[in-house]
Amino acid sequence: MNQLYLKRTLVLLLGPGFVFLIIFFFSPLVFVFLESFKGPAGGITFSRYLEVLTNKQFQHVFVRTLKMALIITPIAVVLGYPSAYLMTKLAPGKKSILMSLVILPLMTSPVARTYAWIVILGKYGIINKTLTSVGILKEPARLMYTEGAIVVGLLQLFLPLMVLTLVSAMENVSEEIEEAALSLGSGRIGSFFRVIVPLSFDGLIMGVTLVFTGCITAYVTPAILGGAKVLTLSTLMRQEALVLMNWEAATVIAVIMIITTLILYNGLRFFKPGNLA
Amino acid sequence: MKNSKILLLILIVMFVFLIGPFIVIIISSFSSQTVMRFPPEGFSLRWYDKVLNIEMFRTTFWMSLKTGLAATFTALVLGVPVAYTNVKYRYPGKNALELFFSSPAIVPGLVVGFALLRFFIYVSGIPILLGLYLGHTAILFPYTVRVVSASLRNFDAGIEEAAVSLGSSPLHAFFAVVLPNIQSGLIAAFILAFITSFNNVPVSLFLTGPGVATLPIQMLVYMEYYFDPTISALSSIIIVITVIIVQSAEKVLGISKYM
Repeated sequence: MNQLYLKRTLVLLLGPGFVFLIIFFFSPLVFVFLESFKGPAGGITFSRYLEVLTNKQFQHVFVRTLKMALIITPIAVVLGYPSAYLMTKLAPGKKSILMSLVILPLMTSPVARTYAWIVILGKYGIINKTLTSVGILKEPARLMYTEGAIVVGLLQLFLPLMVLTLVSAMENVSEEIEEAALSLGSGRIGSFFRVIVPLSFDGLIMGVTLVFTGCITAYVTPAILGGAKVLTLSTLMRQEALVLMNWEAATVIAVIMIITTLILYNGLRFFKPGNLA
Repeated sequence: MKNSKILLLILIVMFVFLIGPFIVIIISSFSSQTVMRFPPEGFSLRWYDKVLNIEMFRTTFWMSLKTGLAATFTALVLGVPVAYTNVKYRYPGKNALELFFSSPAIVPGLVVGFALLRFFIYVSGIPILLGLYLGHTAILFPYTVRVVSASLRNFDAGIEEAAVSLGSSPLHAFFAVVLPNIQSGLIAAFILAFITSFNNVPVSLFLTGPGVATLPIQMLVYMEYYFDPTISALSSIIIVITVIIVQSAEKVLGISKYM
């Protein structure tokens, strides 16, 4: 009786959300997935995948997207770890002000946030203006539509995510453990690496996962700062679909993006302290 | 103490990098020139005047507002019971179901919008506006579940049990006791979900078309054709509104702990 009651409650509470996601979220994804293998005369074909995977431009874009994620993630760790550590040491009032500043890039319209980088990196932007007036550059350099521009833009977006994850991970490390390490003769830096880092390692892995997968799938930043000159997986997919009207290629790229994200998401989660032994 | 000076320096550099661009864009919006330059020459409010007079920005603003409100409301209605179940009940297959409900946050937004376009609009012929609403609801779902779950974990379940044991029906207890107690979590979920929807580009990108566009999509389109500071002015308005919302939400609700 009790068991039956539980079952009925669960169906009532979870049912609507479950059905919604099955119809409006999973069905479209499965449809797209199946469509990517459907041969022109029925049956299964891998020819679309072969075509995309052997395409030089695709390979180039795929490698570039991974490369940029590989550059951004370590920078986010190196800047984010010390900052997050210091923020957990601040008085609650100061910390709350800094936290609301950290989440600002995550909460602001991506278009507005990225547009700011055009003002900074553009032909007549701050950097070029400064460098030409000082005389370091004769002509304005091209900073927009470069990989560097995308890296800077994505770092501004994802550094906060890293800091947030690390702050909440480090809040769980008790003050006493660190003090114990210090009183036992470990220096500040020694105790940071031997006590704080191992104890907040789960948070670090979570942060790395979020930043890395975020870099792979981001759209607005590479669209504005890279344009059609420096494509990433997502801007390439949009170009195939909406500019070249090559829906088949776009479908294949969509599937590849999901698979890449899932592999990274699950792969990075494997690196938990227990698993490393 | 030398070490903490280096730490402080890193912290300051980080904040200049994170917040500096917002200040730059606000300054640039008061330029009187027609070409984006920095520092701007002259002072004027002409770009603000222009933003308010561009019809497309007004209509797409309303579209974003309506889509955001409708999707957030639906995601909350669907998400609150899921969060409640996650926190209150144990049952076989719970982990798998939790993963199921969080999956819209893992799949790239661009792919979500693309798949909805291919499946519904081409195959079933449903209107693109409905697709936009459904896509937004799907991606907001995990947000509402996560934020409301966090808030329910801090709620003392004993109060609810007391109400039930005093003769209240479970449904009545939920509305009269549980919901009022997680009010701040609900508001945080609403704010986070609405802002997520209002700012979203990847999902909307494929679900907009003639007559159906959201504000961020319209801004991207405008930027392809014009290089004047209009977008600076519009961005500044959005940034200031976001700052006000984020600051007050952080002060009152501590919203950063829900993210």
